[in-house]
Amino acid sequence: MKHEAVFFTAEEILKRGKADIPDELLSGKNLVYSSPATLAYNSPGAEGFGVKRAGLSVPESIMLIVAPGCCGRNTSLISSMPEYKNRFFYLEMNEPDLVTGRHLNKIPDAVKEVLSFLKDSGRKVPKAVMICITCVDALLGTDMDRVCRKAEDALTGGEFEGVKVRPCYMYALTREGRRPPMVHVRQTIYSLLEPMEKDPRSVNIIGGFAPIEDTELITYLKSSGIRNIRQISTCRTYEEFLQMASANFNIVIDPEARAAAEDMNKNLNIPYIELTRVYSTDKISSQYKALSSVAGLDIIDSEEKAEADEAVARLKEAYPDLTFNVGECTNANAFELALSLVRMGFKVDEIYATLAPENFVYVKNLAMLSPDTKIYCNMEPTMLYYKISSSKAQVTVGKDAKFYCPDIPNIAWNQDTRPFGYQGVRDLMNKVFEALKEAEA
Amino acid sequence: MKGLRKVLTPFAPDQSGASGVLYSMGALIVIIDAGGCTGNVCGFDEPRWHETRSAVFSAGLRDMDAILGRDELLASKIKSATDRIDTSFVAVIGTPVPATIGTDYKALKRLIGSKVDIPVVPVQTNGMKLYNEGEKEAYKALIDEFADAVPSVTKDQIVLGLTPLTYGKDHIDITLDDIKNIRGAKTLIAASSSGIDACEYLGRDFEIVSPVFKNNIPEGITGKTLVCHDEVVGKTIRDAGVDVDIATFFKLHDAVKKEGDKKITEEDEFIAMVRDGRYDTIAADICLKDLVPDYKGNWVDLKCFAISGRT
Repeated sequence: MKHEAVFFTAEEILKRGKADIPDELLSGKNLVYSSPATLAYNSPGAEGFGVKRAGLSVPESIMLIVAPGCCGRNTSLISSMPEYKNRFFYLEMNEPDLVTGRHLNKIPDAVKEVLSFLKDSGRKVPKAVMICITCVDALLGTDMDRVCRKAEDALTGGEFEGVKVRPCYMYALTREGRRPPMVHVRQTIYSLLEPMEKDPRSVNIIGGFAPIEDTELITYLKSSGIRNIRQISTCRTYEEFLQMASANFNIVIDPEARAAAEDMNKNLNIPYIELTRVYSTDKISSQYKALSSVAGLDIIDSEEKAEADEAVARLKEAYPDLTFNVGECTNANAFELALSLVRMGFKVDEIYATLAPENFVYVKNLAMLSPDTKIYCNMEPTMLYYKISSSKAQVTVGKDAKFYCPDIPNIAWNQDTRPFGYQGVRDLMNKVFEALKEAEA
Repeated sequence: MKGLRKVLTPFAPDQSGASGVLYSMGALIVIIDAGGCTGNVCGFDEPRWHETRSAVFSAGLRDMDAILGRDELLASKIKSATDRIDTSFVAVIGTPVPATIGTDYKALKRLIGSKVDIPVVPVQTNGMKLYNEGEKEAYKALIDEFADAVPSVTKDQIVLGLTPLTYGKDHIDITLDDIKNIRGAKTLIAASSSGIDACEYLGRDFEIVSPVFKNNIPEGITGKTLVCHDEVVGKTIRDAGVDVDIATFFKLHDAVKKEGDKKITEEDEFIAMVRDGRYDTIAADICLKDLVPDYKGNWVDLKCFAISGRT
């Protein structure tokens, strides 16, 4: 037995072609190793903004998790955060529920009891109740939309009339299906919006659950006369959230929000433009040109592009032979980031990420510039044997990369607030620079 | 309403209990789930995961795997992993997914066993029971598979149930060698509810005591006390001379139960016990205090990882 983690070089993968990606790099072909990235990637409620936190991004909402106890167990981690205190409730399923489905009949009464509990204990009555269900109901084929309608109807005529009840599907089983949990939860959230008069000076940025704040995108929108730039995470009240329906157009910054944007286009007549988070300043520039042209905005990005390029140049000058290891537990597509770093003139020794076919294009380009870059899959069982001693990197990016390379300076780069555009490039380069300087000191 | 939790978060489930018993035994542990249950175990209920790597894997089930009952695919994945990873046996741990589709664990054991040349230990958990039940099932499965009828080594003492989910940092793992020789041990000690079940399963005489709390009554306990923890923790404190009623969300065996003790399930039952019991002291995880904010007596924080997740 080799006791070695399996990897393939970018060149090897290119030679095999998109149709023959090794099983070891694909999801679904092997048992799944429990790495930090796996926990975030494979378990839709475990880390970051999973289904639970995402559902509660609706202001003045609470969540009732209707599931076996095991599904809600790690919610303790989230419940301890001040913004989620008194917002999670549980209706635990037992074995007879599994056979009879009677837990579904309890939901309307459970919703009422929770609302009464909040009112009686002097807390604010929520505007929306998100019902979170899990794999069991996926297999039982539960029509949760109907169950939620029934629960909402049961509130009619009573003291809680008007409170919305919506489903959140935390179906890990369907993570690679047509509507994965993180796609579906975004659709659920924005389904709460109701048609209203359009405001030509309002725009939504959708996709994230924490705000993008310091990015130039906001500046460009403001300087083009956009008065209201709404993100769900900056809406303080439910009423403010509902104002998102007045937007002239949506900017989608995460492909997982594409289906929600399609729904909003159809139901609320809000068209959308999709921007991708990339780390190549040329590509960022191209995207802004496209945005400018499609949305009729006046975007001049030369200053911000120069700042980002300068941050790259400063790092390159200080560390001309800098070598990275890049993980996927980060605010980046690991393959795109690796390719961008190589194009900046750095080296990338190792990538830890699952190679979905849509990322093959990055590996193809990477193979031409850096054929020896090794690609490991976070999920692959032999990652148990990964040894840091073989890595040539001086710095790592990603929480998972830190797990594999604990002694190398690391930038986790997995913060809730999303980096975007030139700001993302600039800040990442500066963080790397600071981490290396700190390590030297 | 039964099963509705308005204050507390769910307690450690059976699959976490099973994993906790098996974690340090050198097994290839396969949790039959889509990923979320493994995330709960490794990311929350198994503090050792952050410190030492262990071969805990998710089966990585997808909807069609479950709907079509693709056990052959699961067995092939396990075979592929055992070809590349050193392990002494394979443990497969159940979750709500196999419970829903009615997985036949005996058949699964045979199927996997036909592909690998190491023992296969299935633990039939379903994520709906509590951790002590999972620990019990894991002990029983290990005993069935590995315990020698006539051990070659006579161990002085083996403690069952001193697990991380009950005792946090004070846990002590048992080894595969302990299991192998368990029928010949001179003394068996049950340190928690699952330990009692395992000892009863062996059909041997045993002592019920918590080595952590024996001769070590937590500071601050005075007067009539309600201990809300594992039953053996309560019993050990009572046996030291404290006037104790036991409340436990887990199991309460007849061998422990005395008048005033109660197995509780719902939040309201704990609230009622506190309200009606007029206790001078409550010794329980501090997170339970949120249930009885008006309680004015003495509170001793008796951490219980299975309840709060605090080590």
